[in-house]
Amino acid sequence: MYTNFSAAGCMDNLSPLSQFEVRDLINIDTPVLLNLHISITNIGFYLTIGAFFLLVVNLLSTNYNKLVSNNWSISMESLYATIHSIVTNQINPKNGQIYFPFIYTLFIFILINNLIGMVPYSFASTSHFVLTFALSFTIVIGATILGFQKHGLKFFSLLVPAGCPLGLLPLLVLIEFISYLARNISLGLRLAANITAGHMLLHILSGFTYTIMSSGFVFFLLGLIPLSFIVAFSGLELAIAVIQAQVFVVLTSSYIKDGLDLH
Amino acid sequence: MASRLARSAVGAARLRPTISPRTLPAVSSLVTARNQSTQSNVPTTDPKTKAQSIIDALPGSNLLSKTAILSSAAGLSIYALSNEYYVVNEETVIAFCLLSVWTGLIKYGGPLYKEWAESQNNKIKNILNAARADHTQAVKNRIEDVKQMSEVVEITKSLFEVSKETARLEAEAYELEQRTALAAEAKNVLDSWVRYESQVKQRQQKELAEAVIAKVKKELENPKALDKILQQSVADVERIFASSKSQ
Repeated sequence: MYTNFSAAGCMDNLSPLSQFEVRDLINIDTPVLLNLHISITNIGFYLTIGAFFLLVVNLLSTNYNKLVSNNWSISMESLYATIHSIVTNQINPKNGQIYFPFIYTLFIFILINNLIGMVPYSFASTSHFVLTFALSFTIVIGATILGFQKHGLKFFSLLVPAGCPLGLLPLLVLIEFISYLARNISLGLRLAANITAGHMLLHILSGFTYTIMSSGFVFFLLGLIPLSFIVAFSGLELAIAVIQAQVFVVLTSSYIKDGLDLH
Repeated sequence: MASRLARSAVGAARLRPTISPRTLPAVSSLVTARNQSTQSNVPTTDPKTKAQSIIDALPGSNLLSKTAILSSAAGLSIYALSNEYYVVNEETVIAFCLLSVWTGLIKYGGPLYKEWAESQNNKIKNILNAARADHTQAVKNRIEDVKQMSEVVEITKSLFEVSKETARLEAEAYELEQRTALAAEAKNVLDSWVRYESQVKQRQQKELAEAVIAKVKKELENPKALDKILQQSVADVERIFASSKSQ
Protein backbone atom coordinates (compact mmCIF):
# COMPACT_ATOMS: atom_id res chain seq x y z
CA MET A 1 0.00 0.00 0.00
CA TYR A 2 1.25 3.40 -0.84
CA THR A 3 -0.18 6.85 -0.85
CA ASN A 4 0.50 9.27 -3.63
CA PHE A 5 0.21 12.99 -2.94
CA SER A 6 0.32 14.92 -6.17
CA ALA A 7 0.30 18.66 -6.69
CA ALA A 8 -2.94 20.18 -7.93
CA GLY A 9 -1.44 22.67 -10.27
CA CYS A 10 0.76 21.74 -13.14
CA MET A 11 2.20 25.07 -14.18
CA ASP A 12 4.23 23.71 -17.05
CA ASN A 13 1.15 22.81 -19.04
CA LEU A 14 -0.38 26.16 -19.94
CA SER A 15 -3.09 24.98 -22.32
CA PRO A 16 -6.39 26.86 -21.77
CA LEU A 17 -8.05 23.50 -21.15
CA SER A 18 -5.50 22.38 -18.57
CA GLN A 19 -7.38 24.25 -15.86
CA PHE A 20 -10.33 21.87 -16.30
CA GLU A 21 -8.30 18.70 -15.96
CA VAL A 22 -9.47 16.41 -13.18
CA ARG A 23 -6.46 15.30 -11.16
CA ASP A 24 -5.98 13.23 -8.07
CA LEU A 25 -5.03 15.27 -5.05
CA ILE A 26 -4.79 12.30 -2.72
CA ASN A 27 -4.67 8.89 -4.29
CA ILE A 28 -4.71 5.66 -2.35
CA ASP A 29 -4.05 2.45 -4.30
CA THR A 30 -4.54 -0.61 -2.15
CA PRO A 31 -4.59 -4.28 -3.13
CA VAL A 32 -7.83 -4.74 -1.18
CA LEU A 33 -11.49 -4.46 -2.12
CA LEU A 34 -10.76 -5.57 -5.70
CA ASN A 35 -7.99 -2.97 -6.03
CA LEU A 36 -10.48 -0.20 -5.45
CA HIS A 37 -9.15 3.14 -6.59
CA ILE A 38 -9.78 5.59 -3.75
CA SER A 39 -8.84 9.16 -4.46
CA ILE A 40 -9.79 12.73 -3.75
CA THR A 41 -9.80 14.59 -7.03
CA ASN A 42 -9.71 18.34 -7.44
CA ILE A 43 -13.41 18.39 -8.44
CA GLY A 44 -14.31 16.37 -5.36
CA PHE A 45 -12.18 18.63 -3.20
CA TYR A 46 -13.80 21.82 -4.52
CA LEU A 47 -17.29 20.35 -4.24
CA THR A 48 -16.46 19.54 -0.62
CA ILE A 49 -15.24 23.09 -0.13
CA GLY A 50 -18.52 24.30 -1.63
CA ALA A 51 -20.51 22.14 0.78
CA PHE A 52 -18.44 23.37 3.71
CA PHE A 53 -18.83 26.98 2.57
CA LEU A 54 -22.59 26.53 2.32
CA LEU A 55 -22.64 25.02 5.79
CA VAL A 56 -20.72 27.99 7.19
CA VAL A 57 -22.92 30.51 5.38
CA ASN A 58 -26.06 28.82 6.62
CA LEU A 59 -24.70 28.67 10.15
CA LEU A 60 -23.81 32.35 9.97
CA SER A 61 -27.22 33.21 8.65
CA THR A 62 -29.08 31.17 11.25
CA ASN A 63 -31.46 33.57 12.81
CA TYR A 64 -32.30 31.66 15.97
CA ASN A 65 -35.96 32.57 15.49
CA LYS A 66 -35.25 36.26 15.90
CA LEU A 67 -37.65 38.49 14.04
CA VAL A 68 -34.99 41.04 13.13
CA SER A 69 -32.32 39.24 11.17
CA ASN A 70 -28.61 39.90 10.86
CA ASN A 71 -26.94 40.92 7.60
CA TRP A 72 -26.07 37.32 6.69
CA SER A 73 -29.54 36.13 7.33
CA ILE A 74 -31.17 38.85 5.29
CA SER A 75 -29.10 37.86 2.25
CA MET A 76 -30.29 34.26 2.57
CA GLU A 77 -33.84 35.45 3.12
CA SER A 78 -33.74 37.54 -0.05
CA LEU A 79 -32.24 34.60 -1.95
CA TYR A 80 -35.02 32.41 -0.54
CA ALA A 81 -37.66 34.92 -1.65
CA THR A 82 -36.14 35.12 -5.14
CA ILE A 83 -36.13 31.36 -5.66
CA HIS A 84 -39.57 31.09 -4.13
CA SER A 85 -40.93 33.57 -6.65
CA ILE A 86 -39.27 31.62 -9.49
CA VAL A 87 -40.84 28.38 -8.28
CA THR A 88 -44.30 29.84 -7.77
CA ASN A 89 -44.23 31.67 -11.10
CA GLN A 90 -42.82 28.80 -13.13
CA ILE A 91 -44.48 25.74 -11.65
CA ASN A 92 -47.60 26.58 -9.74
CA PRO A 93 -48.29 28.89 -6.80
CA LYS A 94 -50.05 26.04 -4.99
CA ASN A 95 -48.62 22.71 -6.19
CA GLY A 96 -45.14 24.03 -6.91
CA GLN A 97 -44.35 24.65 -3.26
CA ILE A 98 -43.22 21.08 -2.59
CA TYR A 99 -40.48 21.39 -5.24
CA PHE A 100 -39.10 24.56 -3.66
CA PRO A 101 -36.51 22.85 -1.39
CA PHE A 102 -35.11 20.94 -4.37
CA ILE A 103 -34.99 24.01 -6.60
CA TYR A 104 -33.43 26.14 -3.86
CA THR A 105 -30.78 23.50 -3.14
CA LEU A 106 -30.02 23.22 -6.83
CA PHE A 107 -29.67 26.99 -7.22
CA ILE A 108 -27.45 27.46 -4.21
CA PHE A 109 -25.29 24.47 -5.20
CA ILE A 110 -24.72 25.76 -8.73
CA LEU A 111 -24.27 29.36 -7.60
CA ILE A 112 -21.70 28.54 -4.94
CA ASN A 113 -19.73 26.25 -7.23
CA ASN A 114 -19.81 28.86 -10.01
CA LEU A 115 -18.53 31.49 -7.57
CA ILE A 116 -15.84 29.19 -6.20
CA GLY A 117 -14.68 28.80 -9.80
CA MET A 118 -14.28 32.57 -9.88
CA VAL A 119 -11.74 32.51 -7.05
CA PRO A 120 -8.16 32.75 -8.37
CA TYR A 121 -6.24 29.46 -8.54
CA SER A 122 -9.39 27.49 -7.78
CA PHE A 123 -11.30 25.01 -9.88
CA ALA A 124 -14.65 25.44 -11.64
CA SER A 125 -16.59 22.28 -10.81
CA THR A 126 -19.61 23.34 -12.86
CA SER A 127 -17.50 23.56 -16.01
CA HIS A 128 -17.45 19.76 -16.06
CA PHE A 129 -20.01 18.07 -18.23
CA VAL A 130 -19.92 15.02 -16.01
CA LEU A 131 -21.35 17.09 -13.18
CA THR A 132 -23.81 19.19 -15.19
CA PHE A 133 -25.02 16.24 -17.27
CA ALA A 134 -25.51 14.22 -14.11
CA LEU A 135 -27.69 17.03 -12.82
CA SER A 136 -29.58 17.60 -16.07
CA PHE A 137 -30.24 13.92 -16.81
CA THR A 138 -31.41 13.37 -13.24
CA ILE A 139 -33.74 16.33 -13.41
CA VAL A 140 -35.26 15.53 -16.81
CA ILE A 141 -35.67 11.83 -16.03
CA GLY A 142 -37.14 12.76 -12.64
CA ALA A 143 -39.61 15.16 -14.29
CA THR A 144 -40.55 12.42 -16.78
CA ILE A 145 -41.16 9.91 -13.97
CA LEU A 146 -43.24 12.56 -12.24
CA GLY A 147 -45.30 13.04 -15.40
CA PHE A 148 -45.88 9.29 -15.82
CA GLN A 149 -46.75 8.95 -12.14
CA LYS A 150 -49.33 11.70 -12.36
CA HIS A 151 -50.79 11.20 -15.84
CA GLY A 152 -49.93 7.63 -16.79
CA LEU A 153 -49.79 7.09 -20.54
CA LYS A 154 -51.56 10.43 -21.10
CA PHE A 155 -48.16 11.95 -20.42
CA PHE A 156 -47.36 11.25 -24.08
CA SER A 157 -49.85 13.98 -25.01
CA LEU A 158 -47.01 16.31 -24.08
CA LEU A 159 -45.48 15.36 -27.42
CA VAL A 160 -48.59 16.42 -29.37
CA PRO A 161 -48.75 20.14 -30.03
CA ALA A 162 -52.18 21.75 -29.65
CA GLY A 163 -54.11 22.19 -32.90
CA CYS A 164 -51.76 19.98 -34.88
CA PRO A 165 -53.03 18.72 -38.30
CA LEU A 166 -53.35 14.93 -38.37
CA GLY A 167 -51.08 14.58 -41.38
CA LEU A 168 -48.22 16.33 -39.68
CA LEU A 169 -48.74 14.55 -36.38
CA PRO A 170 -46.10 11.79 -36.75
CA LEU A 171 -43.46 14.26 -37.82
CA LEU A 172 -44.29 16.76 -35.08
CA VAL A 173 -44.41 14.06 -32.42
CA LEU A 174 -40.98 12.90 -33.56
CA ILE A 175 -39.64 16.47 -33.42
CA GLU A 176 -41.19 17.05 -30.01
CA PHE A 177 -39.76 13.76 -28.77
CA ILE A 178 -36.27 14.69 -29.96
CA SER A 179 -36.74 18.13 -28.44
CA TYR A 180 -37.77 16.50 -25.16
CA LEU A 181 -34.72 14.23 -25.21
CA ALA A 182 -32.50 17.19 -26.06
CA ARG A 183 -33.45 18.78 -22.76
CA ASN A 184 -31.17 16.28 -21.08
CA ILE A 185 -28.23 17.60 -23.03
CA SER A 186 -29.13 21.26 -23.37
CA LEU A 187 -29.70 21.88 -19.68
CA GLY A 188 -26.29 20.55 -18.64
CA LEU A 189 -24.53 21.76 -21.75
CA ARG A 190 -25.67 25.35 -21.27
CA LEU A 191 -24.22 25.61 -17.79
CA ALA A 192 -20.95 23.81 -18.41
CA ALA A 193 -20.37 25.50 -21.78
CA ASN A 194 -20.93 28.96 -20.33
CA ILE A 195 -18.58 28.40 -17.43
CA THR A 196 -15.95 26.67 -19.58
CA ALA A 197 -16.12 29.35 -22.25
CA GLY A 198 -15.79 32.12 -19.70
CA HIS A 199 -12.81 30.57 -17.99
CA MET A 200 -11.14 29.73 -21.29
CA LEU A 201 -11.69 33.25 -22.55
CA LEU A 202 -10.10 34.70 -19.43
CA HIS A 203 -7.23 32.24 -19.69
CA ILE A 204 -6.52 32.95 -23.37
CA LEU A 205 -6.78 36.72 -22.94
CA SER A 206 -4.58 36.66 -19.87
CA GLY A 207 -2.03 34.55 -21.77
CA PHE A 208 -1.88 37.19 -24.49
CA THR A 209 -1.75 40.00 -21.96
CA TYR A 210 0.96 38.30 -19.97
CA THR A 211 3.04 37.84 -23.10
CA ILE A 212 2.59 41.49 -23.99
CA MET A 213 3.29 42.78 -20.50
CA SER A 214 6.39 40.70 -19.99
CA SER A 215 7.98 41.93 -23.19
CA GLY A 216 9.26 45.23 -21.82
CA PHE A 217 8.19 48.25 -19.90
CA VAL A 218 6.44 49.98 -22.78
CA PHE A 219 4.61 46.77 -23.55
CA PHE A 220 3.81 46.44 -19.88
CA LEU A 221 2.06 49.80 -20.04
CA LEU A 222 0.35 48.83 -23.28
CA GLY A 223 -0.76 45.61 -21.64
CA LEU A 224 -2.82 47.61 -19.15
CA ILE A 225 -5.39 48.17 -21.90
CA PRO A 226 -6.18 44.46 -22.48
CA LEU A 227 -5.85 43.98 -18.71
CA SER A 228 -8.75 46.37 -18.20
CA PHE A 229 -10.75 44.31 -20.70
CA ILE A 230 -9.98 41.16 -18.74
CA VAL A 231 -11.15 42.89 -15.56
CA ALA A 232 -14.38 43.76 -17.36
CA PHE A 233 -14.73 40.18 -18.61
CA SER A 234 -14.12 38.95 -15.05
CA GLY A 235 -17.03 41.11 -13.91
CA LEU A 236 -19.09 39.66 -16.73
CA GLU A 237 -18.13 36.15 -15.66
CA LEU A 238 -19.29 36.95 -12.16
CA ALA A 239 -22.65 38.00 -13.55
CA ILE A 240 -22.77 34.87 -15.75
CA ALA A 241 -22.11 32.72 -12.67
CA VAL A 242 -25.29 34.07 -11.09
CA ILE A 243 -27.34 34.19 -14.28
CA GLN A 244 -26.52 30.60 -15.26
CA ALA A 245 -27.56 29.33 -11.84
CA GLN A 246 -30.84 31.17 -12.22
CA VAL A 247 -31.38 29.95 -15.79
CA PHE A 248 -30.72 26.38 -14.68
CA VAL A 249 -33.38 26.49 -11.96
CA VAL A 250 -35.88 28.35 -14.15
CA LEU A 251 -35.59 25.63 -16.80
CA THR A 252 -35.73 22.90 -14.14
CA SER A 253 -38.95 24.44 -12.83
CA SER A 254 -40.28 24.61 -16.38
CA TYR A 255 -39.54 20.90 -16.97
CA ILE A 256 -41.20 19.96 -13.69
CA LYS A 257 -44.22 22.02 -14.70
CA ASP A 258 -44.39 20.14 -18.02
CA GLY A 259 -44.46 16.90 -16.05
CA LEU A 260 -47.19 18.19 -13.74
CA ASP A 261 -49.44 20.08 -16.14
CA LEU A 262 -49.50 18.76 -19.69
CA HIS A 263 -49.94 21.55 -22.20
CA MET B 1 -1.13 47.90 -7.99
CA ALA B 2 0.89 48.92 -11.02
CA SER B 3 3.98 48.83 -8.84
CA ARG B 4 3.11 45.28 -7.82
CA LEU B 5 2.75 44.30 -11.45
CA ALA B 6 5.99 46.05 -12.24
CA ARG B 7 7.64 44.10 -9.45
CA SER B 8 6.09 40.90 -10.81
CA ALA B 9 7.35 41.77 -14.24
CA VAL B 10 10.77 42.40 -12.78
CA GLY B 11 10.59 39.05 -10.94
CA ALA B 12 9.53 37.34 -14.15
CA ALA B 13 12.36 39.03 -15.97
CA ARG B 14 14.80 37.74 -13.43
CA LEU B 15 13.41 34.25 -13.79
CA ARG B 16 13.49 34.31 -17.54
CA PRO B 17 16.78 35.10 -19.15
CA THR B 18 15.05 35.77 -22.49
CA ILE B 19 14.02 39.21 -21.19
CA SER B 20 16.88 41.59 -21.44
CA PRO B 21 18.25 42.75 -18.05
CA ARG B 22 18.72 46.24 -19.46
CA THR B 23 15.01 46.79 -18.95
CA LEU B 24 15.56 46.83 -15.20
CA PRO B 25 17.35 50.14 -14.81
CA ALA B 26 15.04 51.61 -17.41
CA VAL B 27 12.06 51.12 -15.05
CA SER B 28 13.23 53.66 -12.49
CA SER B 29 14.42 56.13 -15.07
CA LEU B 30 11.19 55.95 -17.02
CA VAL B 31 9.07 56.32 -13.90
CA THR B 32 11.09 59.36 -12.86
CA ALA B 33 10.81 60.80 -16.33
CA ARG B 34 7.06 60.26 -16.37
CA ASN B 35 6.69 61.87 -12.96
CA GLN B 36 8.65 64.87 -14.11
CA SER B 37 6.59 65.17 -17.26
CA THR B 38 3.24 64.90 -15.48
CA GLN B 39 4.11 67.26 -12.65
CA SER B 40 3.96 70.25 -14.90
CA ASN B 41 0.47 69.61 -16.23
CA VAL B 42 -1.45 67.85 -13.46
CA PRO B 43 -2.29 69.89 -10.34
CA THR B 44 -0.38 68.16 -7.52
CA THR B 45 -1.62 67.57 -3.99
CA ASP B 46 0.41 68.26 -0.89
CA PRO B 47 3.22 65.67 -0.80
CA LYS B 48 2.86 65.25 2.95
CA THR B 49 -0.84 64.47 2.67
CA LYS B 50 -0.21 62.09 -0.20
CA ALA B 51 2.53 60.32 1.74
CA GLN B 52 0.34 60.09 4.83
CA SER B 53 -2.52 58.64 2.79
CA ILE B 54 -0.18 56.00 1.33
CA ILE B 55 1.07 55.12 4.82
CA ASP B 56 -2.52 54.97 6.09
CA ALA B 57 -3.48 52.63 3.27
CA LEU B 58 -0.93 50.08 4.43
CA PRO B 59 -2.10 47.35 6.83
CA GLY B 60 -1.18 47.75 10.51
CA SER B 61 -2.10 50.02 13.39
CA ASN B 62 1.11 52.04 13.80
CA LEU B 63 4.19 52.88 11.78
CA LEU B 64 6.22 50.04 13.30
CA SER B 65 3.66 47.35 12.52
CA LYS B 66 3.14 48.83 9.04
CA THR B 67 6.86 48.64 8.39
CA ALA B 68 7.01 45.12 9.77
CA ILE B 69 4.07 43.92 7.66
CA LEU B 70 5.42 45.61 4.54
CA SER B 71 8.95 44.30 4.97
CA SER B 72 7.77 40.77 5.81
CA ALA B 73 5.42 40.78 2.83
CA ALA B 74 8.26 41.96 0.57
CA GLY B 75 10.63 39.39 2.06
CA LEU B 76 8.12 36.56 1.68
CA SER B 77 7.35 37.62 -1.90
CA ILE B 78 11.03 37.63 -2.79
CA TYR B 79 11.56 34.30 -1.07
CA ALA B 80 8.55 32.71 -2.80
CA LEU B 81 9.51 34.12 -6.19
CA SER B 82 13.20 33.25 -5.95
CA ASN B 83 12.50 29.67 -4.87
CA GLU B 84 9.71 29.32 -7.43
CA TYR B 85 7.12 28.65 -4.78
CA TYR B 86 5.16 31.25 -6.68
CA VAL B 87 5.65 31.58 -10.40
CA VAL B 88 4.47 34.70 -12.17
CA ASN B 89 2.62 33.67 -15.30
CA GLU B 90 -0.72 34.29 -17.01
CA GLU B 91 -2.51 32.83 -13.98
CA THR B 92 -1.19 35.85 -12.09
CA VAL B 93 -2.97 38.11 -14.58
CA ILE B 94 -6.21 36.20 -14.09
CA ALA B 95 -5.74 36.31 -10.33
CA PHE B 96 -5.16 40.06 -10.48
CA CYS B 97 -8.27 40.60 -12.60
CA LEU B 98 -10.50 38.36 -10.49
CA LEU B 99 -9.19 39.83 -7.25
CA SER B 100 -9.79 43.31 -8.66
CA VAL B 101 -13.39 42.38 -9.42
CA TRP B 102 -13.90 40.78 -6.00
CA THR B 103 -12.23 43.74 -4.27
CA GLY B 104 -14.36 46.20 -6.22
CA LEU B 105 -17.46 44.20 -5.45
CA ILE B 106 -16.67 44.04 -1.74
CA LYS B 107 -15.49 47.64 -1.54
CA TYR B 108 -18.35 49.24 -3.46
CA GLY B 109 -21.06 46.61 -3.21
CA GLY B 110 -20.45 45.85 0.48
CA PRO B 111 -21.52 49.25 1.84
CA LEU B 112 -24.50 49.30 -0.52
CA TYR B 113 -25.54 45.84 0.65
CA LYS B 114 -25.01 46.84 4.27
CA GLU B 115 -27.13 49.93 3.77
CA TRP B 116 -29.86 47.90 2.08
CA ALA B 117 -29.75 45.20 4.78
CA GLU B 118 -29.91 47.83 7.52
CA SER B 119 -32.82 49.54 5.80
CA GLN B 120 -34.61 46.19 5.61
CA ASN B 121 -33.86 45.55 9.27
CA ASN B 122 -34.98 49.03 10.19
CA LYS B 123 -38.19 48.51 8.23
CA ILE B 124 -38.89 45.33 10.18
CA LYS B 125 -37.85 47.01 13.43
CA ASN B 126 -40.15 49.96 12.72
CA ILE B 127 -43.04 47.64 11.99
CA LEU B 128 -42.37 45.72 15.20
CA ASN B 129 -41.95 48.89 17.24
CA ALA B 130 -45.12 50.36 15.78
CA ALA B 131 -46.96 47.11 16.57
CA ARG B 132 -45.52 47.15 20.09
CA ALA B 133 -46.54 50.79 20.58
CA ASP B 134 -50.01 50.04 19.23
CA HIS B 135 -50.31 47.09 21.56
CA THR B 136 -49.11 49.17 24.52
CA GLN B 137 -51.63 51.86 23.64
CA ALA B 138 -54.38 49.26 23.31
CA VAL B 139 -53.47 47.80 26.70
CA LYS B 140 -53.42 51.29 28.23
CA ASN B 141 -56.82 52.05 26.74
CA ARG B 142 -58.12 48.80 28.10
CA ILE B 143 -56.65 49.62 31.52
CA GLU B 144 -58.35 52.99 31.39
CA ASP B 145 -61.61 51.36 30.41
CA VAL B 146 -61.33 48.81 33.17
CA LYS B 147 -60.19 51.40 35.71
CA GLN B 148 -63.58 53.06 35.42
CA MET B 149 -65.08 49.84 36.63
CA SER B 150 -62.58 49.37 39.44
CA GLU B 151 -65.20 50.30 42.15
CA VAL B 152 -67.77 48.10 40.61
CA VAL B 153 -67.74 45.70 43.58
CA GLU B 154 -68.38 48.42 46.12
CA ILE B 155 -71.00 49.98 43.90
CA THR B 156 -72.63 46.62 43.39
CA LYS B 157 -72.60 46.00 47.13
CA SER B 158 -74.16 49.38 47.85
CA LEU B 159 -76.63 48.83 45.03
CA PHE B 160 -77.47 45.50 46.55
CA GLU B 161 -77.97 47.18 49.93
CA VAL B 162 -80.13 49.81 48.29
CA SER B 163 -82.09 47.15 46.48
CA LYS B 164 -82.53 45.26 49.75
CA GLU B 165 -83.71 48.47 51.47
CA THR B 166 -85.98 49.17 48.53
CA ALA B 167 -87.43 45.70 48.74
CA ARG B 168 -87.92 46.08 52.47
CA LEU B 169 -89.57 49.48 52.02
CA GLU B 170 -91.68 48.12 49.23
CA ALA B 171 -92.75 45.30 51.51
CA GLU B 172 -93.57 47.78 54.27
CA ALA B 173 -95.38 50.03 51.83
CA TYR B 174 -97.36 47.06 50.57
CA GLU B 175 -98.20 46.08 54.09
CA LEU B 176 -99.25 49.61 54.90
CA GLU B 177 -101.18 49.78 51.72
CA GLN B 178 -102.95 46.61 52.62
CA ARG B 179 -103.65 47.95 56.07
CA THR B 180 -104.90 51.21 54.64
CA ALA B 181 -107.06 49.29 52.21
CA LEU B 182 -108.40 47.17 55.04
CA ALA B 183 -109.02 50.22 57.17
CA ALA B 184 -110.73 51.96 54.29
CA GLU B 185 -112.80 48.88 53.67
CA ALA B 186 -113.71 48.71 57.36
CA LYS B 187 -114.49 52.40 57.38
CA ASN B 188 -116.69 52.01 54.35
CA VAL B 189 -118.48 49.12 55.98
CA LEU B 190 -118.87 51.06 59.21
CA ASP B 191 -119.99 54.18 57.37
CA SER B 192 -122.53 52.15 55.50
CA TRP B 193 -123.66 50.75 58.79
CA VAL B 194 -123.89 54.24 60.27
CA ARG B 195 -125.79 55.46 57.26
CA TYR B 196 -128.05 52.46 57.46
CA GLU B 197 -128.61 53.03 61.17
CA SER B 198 -129.30 56.71 60.69
CA GLN B 199 -131.71 55.92 57.91
CA VAL B 200 -133.42 53.34 60.09
CA LYS B 201 -133.56 55.87 62.92
CA GLN B 202 -134.90 58.60 60.67
CA ARG B 203 -137.46 56.22 59.30
CA GLN B 204 -138.48 55.17 62.81
CA GLN B 205 -138.65 58.80 63.94
CA LYS B 206 -140.63 59.67 60.88
CA GLU B 207 -142.92 56.75 61.46
CA LEU B 208 -143.21 57.71 65.10
CA ALA B 209 -143.89 61.31 64.27
CA GLU B 210 -146.41 60.28 61.70
CA ALA B 211 -147.98 57.90 64.19
CA VAL B 212 -148.12 60.63 66.85
CA ILE B 213 -149.49 63.18 64.43
CA ALA B 214 -152.01 60.64 63.20
CA LYS B 215 -152.91 59.86 66.73
CA VAL B 216 -153.16 63.51 67.65
CA LYS B 217 -155.18 64.16 64.58
CA LYS B 218 -157.37 61.28 65.52
CA GLU B 219 -157.62 62.57 69.03
CA LEU B 220 -158.46 66.00 67.73
CA GLU B 221 -161.28 64.54 65.84
CA ASN B 222 -162.64 63.29 69.13
CA PRO B 223 -164.68 66.09 70.87
CA LYS B 224 -163.91 64.72 74.24
CA ALA B 225 -160.33 64.95 73.64
CA LEU B 226 -160.69 68.44 72.28
CA ASP B 227 -162.55 69.41 75.41
CA LYS B 228 -159.97 67.85 77.52
CA ILE B 229 -157.26 69.72 75.66
CA LEU B 230 -159.15 72.88 75.89
CA GLN B 231 -159.68 72.43 79.59
CA GLN B 232 -156.09 71.57 80.01
CA SER B 233 -155.05 74.59 78.03
CA VAL B 234 -157.33 76.87 80.04
CA ALA B 235 -156.04 75.37 83.23
CA ASP B 236 -152.46 75.95 82.01
CA VAL B 237 -153.26 79.53 81.06
CA GLU B 238 -154.85 80.17 84.36
CA ARG B 239 -151.92 78.67 86.16
CA ILE B 240 -149.51 80.72 84.13
CA PHE B 241 -151.56 83.78 84.65
CA ALA B 242 -151.88 82.99 88.35
CA SER B 243 -148.16 82.48 88.63
CA SER B 244 -147.39 85.66 86.79
CA LYS B 245 -149.83 87.54 88.89
CA SER B 246 -148.40 86.22 92.12
CA GLN B 247 -145.06 87.30 91.11
